[in-house]
Amino acid sequence: MSAVAEATGWYVFGVVASPAPMPAGVVAEGSLAALVEPVSLAEFGREALVERLNDREWLETHARAHQDVLQAACAAAPVVPLRFGTIFDDLEDVRAMLRSRRHELEAALEYVRGRVEIGVKAWVAPASAEARRPAAPVTGRAYLEQRLGARVQAEEASAALAEVARAAHERLLACSVEAVANRPQPRELTGRDEPMILNGAYLVDDADAFRAEVAALAAGCAARGIDFEVTGPWPPYNFVGDGVAP
Amino acid sequence: MSVVEHRPLQEQVTLIDLVDRVLNKGVTLTGDIVLSVAGVDLVYVGLRVLLASVATLDERGAA
Repeated sequence: MSAVAEATGWYVFGVVASPAPMPAGVVAEGSLAALVEPVSLAEFGREALVERLNDREWLETHARAHQDVLQAACAAAPVVPLRFGTIFDDLEDVRAMLRSRRHELEAALEYVRGRVEIGVKAWVAPASAEARRPAAPVTGRAYLEQRLGARVQAEEASAALAEVARAAHERLLACSVEAVANRPQPRELTGRDEPMILNGAYLVDDADAFRAEVAALAAGCAARGIDFEVTGPWPPYNFVGDGVAP
Repeated sequence: MSVVEHRPLQEQVTLIDLVDRVLNKGVTLTGDIVLSVAGVDLVYVGLRVLLASVATLDERGAA
């Protein structure tokens, strides 16, 4: 331990109702409690944070820690997740935040009580993404016609896929409390060659019933070469307000 | 049945799914008493650049 203590801030993962069901890492104020952890401002201060976010290993470690804390808390009680890297100077500021945002946080906790977030992604299966590779053209004119034809085909296929994704989201929305269609994840980050056509999040009362609906939907889409992937249950990240618009 | 199930256990959650939620969603608090909160689209862009550079490094390492 150095003689001069390192500057410390308080990382707030999320908010639960007080008394909190977990004994450690909690600061309570009235009806609410924040899940907190002391962090070094050398890592989590405003400028430092921006820099660290582009360090993949650092980002992954801390994003997982954030998720793990909220996931564990969710198993015990309703949780309102805060955005990654929300840092306060001291615990009195955390309490002040709980006071000033009390109504909004209480309403959010009530809204997510007994509910979970499920993620559903849909992909164009590899076989259909590679379909229709044309034979080599023999003349310049044939080449141009083929190029044009391929473009029209690609546009039609793309419109059809968008329609499949929209219909799938609508159907899942119908058995959710609320749903969000987020921006499909780019291929560079998914590591899959085939394009993602749906990246939805669904707040549901009954996860098993919702999964059954996804399975039925997937069965209906299998012939069209669409794969579905289900993730969760997650803490209700997408359903506590102020998410970034897709 | 073409449905793949993933539970968010530590090993199974992909970084991109984490970024999608942990960094892009959740209640965003602003105001004087909040020292910092992660910037969002910046991360997405930064991460993309980073992954591209990681892939390049891997290729070099494999060569």
